[in-house]
Amino acid sequence: MTDVVAKLQTLVPEVTLLVGAVLAALLGLSRRKQVRDAVPWVTIATLLAAMVAVPFFNQLDGTTAAGLLMPMLGGTFKLGILAVAVLLCLLTVGLVDRRLEQAFATGRAPFDAMRTIRGEFYAFFLLSITGLSLVCSARDLVWLFLALELTSLPTYIMVALSRGSRRAQEAAVKYFFLGAMASAVFLYGFALLYGATGTLVLTDMRGTFALQASTGGVSNLAVIGMILTVLGLCFKIAAAPMHFYAADVYEGAAAPVTAFLAFVPKAAGMLALMLLLGTMGWSGHSMIVDSIGFRQPIEGLPQPVVTVLWMIATLTMTLGNVGALLQRSVKRMLAYSSIAHSGYMLIGIIAGPTTGLAAVLFYLFAYGIMNTAAFAVLAGLERRGEEIESLDDLAGLRQRHPGMSVVMALAAGSLMGLPPLLGFWGKLYLFIAGVQAGHVPLVVIAAVNSAIAAWYYLRLVGLPILSRPSPQSETIGNGLSVWPRVAGVLGAVGVIVLPLLLRPMFDTAALAVSGYAKADSPTAPAGTLAAKALASESLASEALASEQESAD
Amino acid sequence: MTASTPISLALALDVYLPVGIVVAMAILFAVFNLIATKLLGPSRSGQTKGITYESGMNPVGTARKRFNVRFYILAMTFLVFDVEIIFLYPWAVGYSQLTPRSPEATLFLGRIMFFLAASVVAYLYAWRKGVFRWE
Repeated sequence: MTDVVAKLQTLVPEVTLLVGAVLAALLGLSRRKQVRDAVPWVTIATLLAAMVAVPFFNQLDGTTAAGLLMPMLGGTFKLGILAVAVLLCLLTVGLVDRRLEQAFATGRAPFDAMRTIRGEFYAFFLLSITGLSLVCSARDLVWLFLALELTSLPTYIMVALSRGSRRAQEAAVKYFFLGAMASAVFLYGFALLYGATGTLVLTDMRGTFALQASTGGVSNLAVIGMILTVLGLCFKIAAAPMHFYAADVYEGAAAPVTAFLAFVPKAAGMLALMLLLGTMGWSGHSMIVDSIGFRQPIEGLPQPVVTVLWMIATLTMTLGNVGALLQRSVKRMLAYSSIAHSGYMLIGIIAGPTTGLAAVLFYLFAYGIMNTAAFAVLAGLERRGEEIESLDDLAGLRQRHPGMSVVMALAAGSLMGLPPLLGFWGKLYLFIAGVQAGHVPLVVIAAVNSAIAAWYYLRLVGLPILSRPSPQSETIGNGLSVWPRVAGVLGAVGVIVLPLLLRPMFDTAALAVSGYAKADSPTAPAGTLAAKALASESLASEALASEQESAD
Repeated sequence: MTASTPISLALALDVYLPVGIVVAMAILFAVFNLIATKLLGPSRSGQTKGITYESGMNPVGTARKRFNVRFYILAMTFLVFDVEIIFLYPWAVGYSQLTPRSPEATLFLGRIMFFLAASVVAYLYAWRKGVFRWE
């Protein structure tokens, strides 16, 4: 019973988001225009309320009681998720139901609840964030799978709802079918992992893998399962070889939804990768008690898994950056850049705790901010109700839209990794983690890739500010709503100001994954299944194990 | 945590032997039935044999008739409550066996209340959306 209460307490932020989703869905159907217009603000208020709830209800005692693999992850990273979600929500203000609302307002059509979709859109927005937030506190494979699906399923619909065009529908259908296939792949991986360990609970899986590793290596079934899982999750993070959908889907969806797609499923996939690879552990982070009672480190990730991750990281970075070089459409370019950024983040995933994983978390947050700022420019400007898309549209933006041109330049500079900006510190942190973990060749590949990436990011910096206005860019006006531009300015300010808070942010990121590293340190309590399994292996600690039994 | 000993020899195939036997039995059963009906069953054909419901109603008109989309939406709404009732029966049977006012009973009650609240939200949504309006 207390167990259930403790678990429920850790879920207060998610329940808040859920209630907000219900409210948004119902308020969106109101007959009164003011109420319908308030839905985005209800969404933002919900996100802020959940943000307030996180520090109160994701304290360490509560989450440790729930037996998590990385107990501190929820209490810290959820704040980052929700902060980015607020920006993303600002981006969507005025997007959904635009034509319909105009028709209602001018009296060309009577109000028809059947045709409005604003409430649904924001409900799905919040549900997807709920799923992402649940991934942070996943305890077992079933929970993890459901949370990942809760993150993804609303995004398929959001793509279709985001604009009425046929391209959006096409993108949604593509995204849905490929996403379903990817889910099948990682679900099959989950099944094999279960077959290899006999448990669904992540902490127990870790104990079993540690035991297997010490007695002749992790079973082949588990290795195959892990590789399938990683490949399936590559879809969520848009990494090779599952990246093909990204350019088409990102182009088809409206810019605010594209920004959402580039952050939310990616974060969910990265967190799931951290948790799942964490069951096998990185080298030097699993211990075994040998026959004379000394704790010996054992190999972490099996070599095939590391090799696959290496290949994925290298391919993703290279394909993403080379693909981006060839694009004329800004959205497709940013889609390929999003692929490349997944590749950079995989370095941190390969490097492992504590620095590597902390770097991934920090980078996810930084990427969320700077990417949202870049998309805010596309969402905030328009030409006769149509989104701006090609690079020519951005040329000489400074003349008519000085603010937005600076936002685009700062966001692209940060995505490229220009030194004082947020993206630079994220990349530096990742590269340092990679070097520390001994993956120097991978970091060199990433550095070369960053140099290639500079070519197309510099176009995004240079075109709006330095080049002369093109005939296309003359016809661009401000969007209907001011809030996407506000989100852009907020993001750009964040890109400049947040580096001043580097120290606390790095510390928080390290704190988020610190629970994982601690679980196996020699001072860890021997009450976990892992410790019991390890202890029963050795003669010296047999007495300790029996003490433990009697204590239980 | 009932399984306190981890399965370390999961690749040992004999664990999967019963599953294999069941799969083989399923395949054999299907193949056997197909062959048996072919061999044993009388095969007659004719107009009466070929109609949609051999011993039921006589079909009238084409099957490609259009129904109003409202039927579909109403059927969905009906499903929400139908499924809810199906879940309520086993819940009620289980709940009556718990000690009154015990923590387990409270938890049990809380769960079904959450479930009921969820379907009430579904109903509210359908109502506001205008599903029940028939003009």
